[in-house]
Amino acid sequence: MSKLERSFYSKVSMYSFFVVLILVLSIWIGTGQFTHIDLMLFGYLIASFVFAIGITIRMCSWALRPATHQVLKRSFANMKKKTHAKRNLISILRTAFENIFLQKFIFKRGIYRGITHWLIAWGCIGSFAITFGLVFGWMHFKLVDPHTYQIIVMDIPTLKMPAHGILAELIYNGLNITAMMVLIGVTMALIRRSKSQDVKVTQRVEFDLLPLYVLLAVTVTGLVLTLSYKFLGGFLHPQLSLIHQITVVMFLVYFPFGKLFHLPIRPLATAVPMDYQGQIQRDTRACKRCSTLYSDDDQIEDVKAILGVQSFDLQLADGTYLADYCPACRRRLRVMKQLNMENDKGNPYGPIQTMNDVQVPGFGRKRSESYYEEKRGDEND
Amino acid sequence: MNKIMYLEFERCIGCRACQAACRECGDHDAKERNFVEYVDFMESRQTYPMLCMQCKDPACARVCPANAIQITDDGVVLSAMEEKCIGCRNCTFGCPFGIPKFDFEENKMYKCDMCYDRSQHDIAPMCASVCPSEAIRFIDFDEMQALRRQRSQMNLVEGKKPTEQDKWQYVPEFFGVYTSDE
Repeated sequence: MSKLERSFYSKVSMYSFFVVLILVLSIWIGTGQFTHIDLMLFGYLIASFVFAIGITIRMCSWALRPATHQVLKRSFANMKKKTHAKRNLISILRTAFENIFLQKFIFKRGIYRGITHWLIAWGCIGSFAITFGLVFGWMHFKLVDPHTYQIIVMDIPTLKMPAHGILAELIYNGLNITAMMVLIGVTMALIRRSKSQDVKVTQRVEFDLLPLYVLLAVTVTGLVLTLSYKFLGGFLHPQLSLIHQITVVMFLVYFPFGKLFHLPIRPLATAVPMDYQGQIQRDTRACKRCSTLYSDDDQIEDVKAILGVQSFDLQLADGTYLADYCPACRRRLRVMKQLNMENDKGNPYGPIQTMNDVQVPGFGRKRSESYYEEKRGDEND
Repeated sequence: MNKIMYLEFERCIGCRACQAACRECGDHDAKERNFVEYVDFMESRQTYPMLCMQCKDPACARVCPANAIQITDDGVVLSAMEEKCIGCRNCTFGCPFGIPKFDFEENKMYKCDMCYDRSQHDIAPMCASVCPSEAIRFIDFDEMQALRRQRSQMNLVEGKKPTEQDKWQYVPEFFGVYTSDE
């Protein structure tokens, strides 16, 4: 592997190369040795390659971060463990269903936000599936007889359907349906972002609003295209399709570098139940000081490792690490240190001790004369 | 932003006005992000206010596997970005000061952002604006330096720390008088 790696400029370029290679191969298979390439989609094809390379580069640089690397390392190690198999499977299925498909946690933040996000997310993922399927030639339609269409997936003939059946109509209008989902979602999101004073606090135009505008451009131009050929007899269709193509290319090129990049990193959420929570949301590790349960042994080990790699020295004099204490004890440790109160304070019925960095004025005692003599002598030298 | 958050733990009277104010801040969702706790309940009723230190190189951001914790141009460490946060809670364990809080239900981490909508315009954060005993202050850098100097002048004598036995020996006769060019 390392030998292969050295024949490339970098690891990232190696991965990008293989991604492109696999895509070209899949096109070759899907289009029946390049016999079914749809040249109308050539612009999309180029943009999709840029998209794939961009995602690869961003994923690689993300996985290189010490924190991400550590979590990924533990996740892959756990995946290989046979004793962990059941927990792994449950974690993956649970995360895929609750966290990624239903997006329960966003609905908990608010029904409006949940619906908004769900519509945008599944509209986008659906559109991606259809777009890439067609652009890379992974699927295409074949007319078997004048009344029957057949879907060919990866050059393998599959489902046959009547050309004007309900299923066929649903499939033809797949992109329209997903576009409507995105359009409704994006409109809801833009309303929230322009109305709510709360989100404006940390919202940035180029980060939070730009992706919404890009999505809006893509969906509106796409739907106008449908409007044109369905109801206006193809009015301005070539120009409109070119405009739509431009917006989609912009979207695909933008995707790996903006806010939308949170989509490919989301599956890492599986690592949480898989590595750190034997039982969901149940802590097992006890704090060194107050014995409150606050975390999981593996997780604290990981946190220490990540901090260690990045030269954070959070070890105390007694050899324990700050991560060994629960957050409440960590706060208290800091305050007691700052107030100089770490040590035992002796007799609680004795006089109040003021060893807390602030000396109450007014108790000064004059020093012996010799002290001042010495000091004056120094100045004269 | 050239203002400083200045905390004096021993001024805290434990009224928790800062927490009530924090809940009122925009985008805080009626949950407080600061702490008021007893230093050592068995010893005294002394409380302390606790906020985020807004580290230059925050450990919470460094241990985040999703790269969700961002720092603004003026150095405020923000809560984890909701779209990136995967809910692992590494930040709450990495933070040396135990500041980040985590909401399992909504799967999001939230921490003191110095009321960014206010402090970015040099307006005091909610907690500092309500603290009745000036345990939390939002002051100019120069004012902070003066206060610091005063504090160290009050207890620093020739680089030595007094011990319990001879602390009275070390208290200088004059306080707050700068005598270098005597």
